[in-house]
Order: sequence, then structure tokens, then C-alpha cells
Amino acid sequence: MKDLQYLILKKENLDGFVSRLSRLRKVSAPVSKGNGEFAFEEVGSAGRIELNYKPTIMPPKKYLMPQEETLLEFSTAKGFETRPVVEYEKMALFGVHTCDLAGIQCLNAVFSVRPRDYNYLTRKRQIDIIGLECGDYCDEHASCTVVSAHMPSGGYDLFFTDLGGYFMVHTNTQAGEEMIEATKCFESAAEAQFEDLEAFRKKKRDTFKNEVPIEPRFIPGLFDACFESPVWKELEAKCLACGNCTNVCPTCYCFDIIDEVGLDLKSGRRYRKWDSCQLEPFAKVAGGENFRKERSARQRHRYYRKFRYPVAKYSKFFCTGCGRCSRTCMAGIHLKDTLNALIKESDSRIWKKWL
Amino acid sequence: MKRPKVGFFDFACCEGCQLQVANFGEELLDILGAIDVVEFREVMSEKWDGDFDVAIVEGSITDKHAVERINRIRERSKVLIAYGSCATIGGVNGMKNAFDLTDIRKYVYGSDYKFFHTEMTKALHQVVKVDYFVNGCPVYPPELVKVLKAALQGIPYYVPDYAVCVDCRLNENVCMYEKGVACFGPVTRAGCNSWCVNNGNICYGCRGIVSNPNEKGMKEVLTKYNIPIEFVLNKVNMYNKCRELVEGGEDDE
Amino acid sequence: MEKVVIKDSNYRIRKAKILRTKQLTKMEKLFEIALDGGESLDQEPGQFVMVSLFGVGEAPISVCSSPTNRGSFELCVRAAGKVTGAMHRLEAGDEIGIRGPYGKGFPIRILEGNDLLMVAGGLGIAPLRSLIKYAFDNRRDFGKIHIMLGCKSSEDLLFEDELNQWFKRMDVHYECTVDRAASDWAGHVGQITTLLPGVHLETERTFAIVVGPPVMYKFVLRELLKKNIPENQIILSFERHMKCGMGKCGRCQIQNLYCCQDGPVFNYADIKNMSEAL
Repeated sequence: MKDLQYLILKKENLDGFVSRLSRLRKVSAPVSKGNGEFAFEEVGSAGRIELNYKPTIMPPKKYLMPQEETLLEFSTAKGFETRPVVEYEKMALFGVHTCDLAGIQCLNAVFSVRPRDYNYLTRKRQIDIIGLECGDYCDEHASCTVVSAHMPSGGYDLFFTDLGGYFMVHTNTQAGEEMIEATKCFESAAEAQFEDLEAFRKKKRDTFKNEVPIEPRFIPGLFDACFESPVWKELEAKCLACGNCTNVCPTCYCFDIIDEVGLDLKSGRRYRKWDSCQLEPFAKVAGGENFRKERSARQRHRYYRKFRYPVAKYSKFFCTGCGRCSRTCMAGIHLKDTLNALIKESDSRIWKKWL
Repeated sequence: MKRPKVGFFDFACCEGCQLQVANFGEELLDILGAIDVVEFREVMSEKWDGDFDVAIVEGSITDKHAVERINRIRERSKVLIAYGSCATIGGVNGMKNAFDLTDIRKYVYGSDYKFFHTEMTKALHQVVKVDYFVNGCPVYPPELVKVLKAALQGIPYYVPDYAVCVDCRLNENVCMYEKGVACFGPVTRAGCNSWCVNNGNICYGCRGIVSNPNEKGMKEVLTKYNIPIEFVLNKVNMYNKCRELVEGGEDDE
Repeated sequence: MEKVVIKDSNYRIRKAKILRTKQLTKMEKLFEIALDGGESLDQEPGQFVMVSLFGVGEAPISVCSSPTNRGSFELCVRAAGKVTGAMHRLEAGDEIGIRGPYGKGFPIRILEGNDLLMVAGGLGIAPLRSLIKYAFDNRRDFGKIHIMLGCKSSEDLLFEDELNQWFKRMDVHYECTVDRAASDWAGHVGQITTLLPGVHLETERTFAIVVGPPVMYKFVLRELLKKNIPENQIILSFERHMKCGMGKCGRCQIQNLYCCQDGPVFNYADIKNMSEAL
């Protein structure tokens, strides 16, 4: 079984794999944007692909849940007619890190619970996912270990581990197998190569250690005790409410629904667009009341949506430890700092009873 | 449906926003199919002496003649659209408000300055009721189309009350602060699809400031990136000096 | 990019026609609406629908009629935003789109067999009217019914002709107060909380149902608790901004709860410690 599921791809054959695959469907992979930043963009060969990249500016959620997508087309020329639609594209995502795989798994959960979101679910079936393992931390903002997103655990069709001269490739699904058969670049793995993978994983377990001084199982309890914590007030002063932290988050999925008409005013579309709980108008009702007027309440809401609320609903954290929110925040609101501050602040109140 | 009668007007401005209409390309034909332009000094010599369904007004109000004229335009128009930064927030003309008006007149008109009246620069809504705002220096053409459609439908258009950063991040631009450059995206109202930053420039704040900016937080960010606050305030005032008129309630000359 | 029609989309719109409109006040207009093809909305009292005006957008509106009236339903709309403002221009015969009903309504099965103390402030009477009318249509299933209504001024009173009928009914205890009275106003003047101390209740079998603007809850709750109504016998309905109605878009979230799915009707005991709720 093990032998069948694992193959190798020699580094010199990567370009062949990507080129052949890109002739069959659109392929997106991390490329450099300059300034040490990266983005998922369409590629036709392996040339532009950055195998050693820190998380892209936008997570791959932009393909599963596009920033803008049409939900409904309408015409009011004669009475009204509506057509609910889904837009999708057959494609493959190459080089998705385990943090982003975890992010996609979170989105899958959200859009699969009833009432189901067929727009997301239809599109998801058309996107093949090829993971790429990290051997080391991307930078100081990553906190993937505390949320157990540093090791592969499903969510992909193929999974690549870079072992020097070749990739060890795990085939997880039928769709993955079809990509392998269609591109014909892979070879069977030898026993020594399994040993290489074992050694890689062992080294990785030594490198990746819980980044926050709290056992993950205690995090929901920490948040239960911290709703009124002064830590949130400190964020009030810092946060510019630019919404960057949520827009780059692989698990944020809030959206607005907007109508757009043509100049004839008779036909148009209803689309959804990413929205952010950090923005001033988000929780405002038509009468003018704003239910999260303070930036501190909005920041708190964001953290609870990562570490508390989804634990109750989906039994998992909606933080993948990718570090994007910290990296993108010009005001320097860093996730690990916030968690550390919460732990420290609540220490005297609740923490000791667990020790 | 009868096409609504639309007039274009300008006050103190560079007329560049009106020029943006010409830059539409093919979409212009669709727009002209939906509206009936009856007055537009920049492109036609005809004048219209009736009422307007929509008046699209560029420029800011800087003297008493302008006050009279904008009031007349307002009376003749069902809907008035403030068009471009000069009209919506005072824009660069607002820089005048940082100086003594007599000094300004002397500087511009020399010894004959007494013959030339001037007033504190004002955005249109500081003088007459404005129904729609199309911000920007120049305006972002897709936003004009949005506003035009809203006006034709008779529904409000809300200028986004969040930062340009939102669109900028969605466009996957590398943050200007990461490049060590001061940018006003974090406090400037979105709606332009981060047009300038997409093209390698910084955000100059031409769309006005969000309604609830975190000024203290912004100062901390500038300190963190070693950017002098004075320098930034001057730059913000390049477009946003008239903002103080609303808050401080300063009067005319 | 491929595009296909998905029949089972949850964003599918049902066609509906406005049968009748009535301008209730300057700001509020009542719409009687029927779904195409004689379909019933089949809502619970307290649920809401998403109203579509194509090209303008969607807005969540509470159904203010009782499901006992199956052929049509009513929406009381305050012109407060883009969609509701445009909706005020619609008249009988105009078509609109409907999604829903959504949300948890009033817990009828739990309320049955008990006394009801219904407290409404301002536009809160609209969602509460669905329960009031339901209770009237099934009057035998309930004990005593008290209706306490508060409003800014007598000109802002909604459903005025119905209120007069409630006042006359012997099987209902109805009282109304206004903050500011016109000269011809003969009723109470003062905040809604001034009505509550005078109501005689058998607290162990009374459910209080409160719907009103956010500021009202704190003061009304204080009075209800003072009257020893058990916390789990206090029912509230909240207003939040909603876009999808399906617990996805995040707009209406109150801590871990989605107002559109877990609410808009909540039991006070479940949310009393949630600072984002009250």
C-alpha cells in the first residue's frame, strides 16, 4: 500500500510535470513578487515557481472563494428572471504549504455545513491541490505547530516533499493519480528514499516546537477567560482597521453581497465579495447602530473566530499558523504577541489552577 | 425611457476629471446611450437653458461668484454629483486655506490684489446639497459608472468607508511600508481599487480620509517606520485641508 | 472560466408580487406579498425573509403577519437604507424576489399554555405582531396576553387601527405609551419601562417576549427581572445586519452565534452573559 501511494519526482523532471499539467489545465503556483513577497499566479512551466517561499500575500483561498463571484444573474426587462450560477475553472494549485492546506480544510467545513454553499462546493471539486512540505520555519511569524498545521494531514491530491535531488510524492486521491498518469514524470520510490523521508520528518519534529507557551487543548479555556481582557484595549490604540489581517487570512470567509446593473438598468448580476469584520461598516445596521464600533471589539472578534468559536462548531482552530496576519500588519499587531499577552494577563486569574 | 439630461460643470480645478470621461474608450458609447449630455463645455459649444436631471460638477468653490453659480446649478438640477477631489473634499485648492487670504491674494495678483475677491476653499457639499460623491484626483472611471447608474436608478451610492489598503491587499501589491515608503492607503477611503499603488505609486489620500481614522495608531506606524509626522501631515493636507472646515467650522473671509 | 446554472443554489430567488401597500407612517410602509404559483411562505412567527430588489440589493425583513394567514404575508418596512428606501417606491402589482424564511422564530410550542407578556418598542412591534396575530388566531392555546407598546411619539405608532381593536378586546390586556404626546393623545406618556411595574403577572407561568431597539433591552430586562420572571422565560429578538441569512457571511454574528440562524429570537438565559448581545 505504502509503495503504491508514494512515488518520486526527480528535480529535473519538475519542469516536465508542470508544463505537461499546464497544458491540461490552468496551474497556479507561488512566484516571487519582489521584496521577499510571493503570490500564487498562473505558470506554464517550473521556471518561475519558488519552491522555497514564505506564505504568499494572499492564501490560495482566492481560487476556492474568489474575491468576487457571481451568485445570480437577473433581467428585469419583462417581469424579472433570475438564474443562480456558479463560476468555476478546472485548475491545479501547485506548492500549497500545510498551513494553507489546513486553511482550505477549514473553508471546506464552513461551506459544507447546511445550508450548503454550492458555489464553493462546485468550484472546490474542480481544483486539484498539490501540497509542498516545509522543512523549516518560513520566518518568525509562523506558529503552525501550536495549531498542528506543520505536518501534512490530508486536504491534498498530491503532496510533495523536497528531499534534495528529488521530491517524495504522496498520492492521496484518485485525482492525484490521474495527474501522475497524465504527466508520466514519476518513478517508484526505493527503500532508501523512504528512509530519507523518515529522516526529514524526524528533523522536522525537532525543528517545529510549539511557538506559544500554552498547550493547544487549553486555548479555548484561555479565550473563555479573556473576553474582557485589557489586552484587547491595547489593540484599540494600535489597529488602523485596514482589514489586511482578515483579507490575507486563509480561513476568513466573511462576505458582502452586492447587486450590479448594466447601463440599461435592466440586467445585471448579484455577486459576493470578500468583506472584513475589521472594517467600520461591517456590523452597522441601517438604523445607524454599530454593534462592533470599537476597533478592540473587532480585533477581539477576529481572534475569537480563530481560536474559540470554530472549536465549538467545527472542533478545530481556524488559525493555521501561517503568520500572514502578523506579517501584513503595519501597526505591528502580531498573533503570537497577542496570545502571549493573553496568557500572561490571565495567568494570575486562571492559569495557575491548571499547573 | 427618456434619457436623462446631464450637464457637466467646472469650478476651480484642472478639468482633468472631465477629461477622464474622454478616456473611457468604448464604454463611453454605452454611457452616451444611457444619458443625454446637454452641456459640457470641454467637448461641446451648445448650452442648455432648461433644468438638468443630473449635474456633474468638478472643482471647488473659492469665491463669491462661484457660490452664486453653484447655487444656480443646484436649483436647476434634480441630482448633483460632486465630481473629483476638488469638488468632493476641496482637493489641492484647499492648500490655500493654510495661508492668510490677503497674503495669498498679494502673492497671486500682486499690487492689484484688492480687485480680486477670494474665500476659503470649500468642497461642494460645504456650500450646497450634494447627492453623490465621485472622489479621486482624477476620478476612477469605473466608480463614475457606478455612481451614474445609482443616480439613474435613484438609489444612494455609499463611498466605501474603509481604507484603500483593503483593495490594495486584494490586489496583492507589496505594501509600500515594506518598501520603506510612506503611503496614505491606511487612512484614505477606498473605492479606487488601489489604482495608484497597482501602478507603482503611493496613495496620496486624494479620496479623503475614512470617517473614523485611528490617528494615534497611524502616528505610531509612522514612528515605527521612521517617517517624520510633519512631512506626512503636509502631504495629507495636499488634498485634505478642507476637512478642517467641517470640523472646525471656520467661516468665510 | 466556466459558468453553469445551479438549480439547487441557496441564493435562488422566489418570485413574489405585492398585493397591497399601506403607508403606515412617514418612515414605515406595509406590504402584503404573495409568492408566485400560490406557494405558501410557511414561516414561523418571528422569522425573516431576504427581500430582493434586482439591481438594488437584498435586505432582511421580519415577517409581521401570522402564518395562520397562508395565502400571503406582510412586511413592515422602514425606509432606512438603500433597499428599503427603494422598496418604498413600490406599489401593488410590482414584483419582488424573496429568499427564506430564515432564522429561529418565537418558540410557539414552549409558549403555548402560558401567559404572554409582549413588550415592543418602536419598529419592534413589526416582528412581534406575527406572534400577537398568531396568538389571537389560536387564542385558546394561550393564557393571559399582555401587550405593552412603546413608541417615540403618537405619530410614529404603527398599525394604529389594529391597536384600537386590541384595546377593545376583552381577552387581551393592552397598554401603550409614547415618549412625546401630541395634543390629542389620551394614553400614557413616558418610557416603556413605566408600564411594566403596574402589570399583574403570575410569574411562574408567564413568558416575556421583548422586541425593540438595542437601547431598550437593558431597561426592560431590569424591570422584568425585578418582577421575578425567570431568565429562561424571557424571549428576545435582535436586529443585526445580514447579507446571506445562512450563517456564512459573518455580518450578524454575536460572538459564537449567528443571528440569522441561531436567532433572531433568543432565550435570555442563553445570551445573558454575552456582552456583544446586549
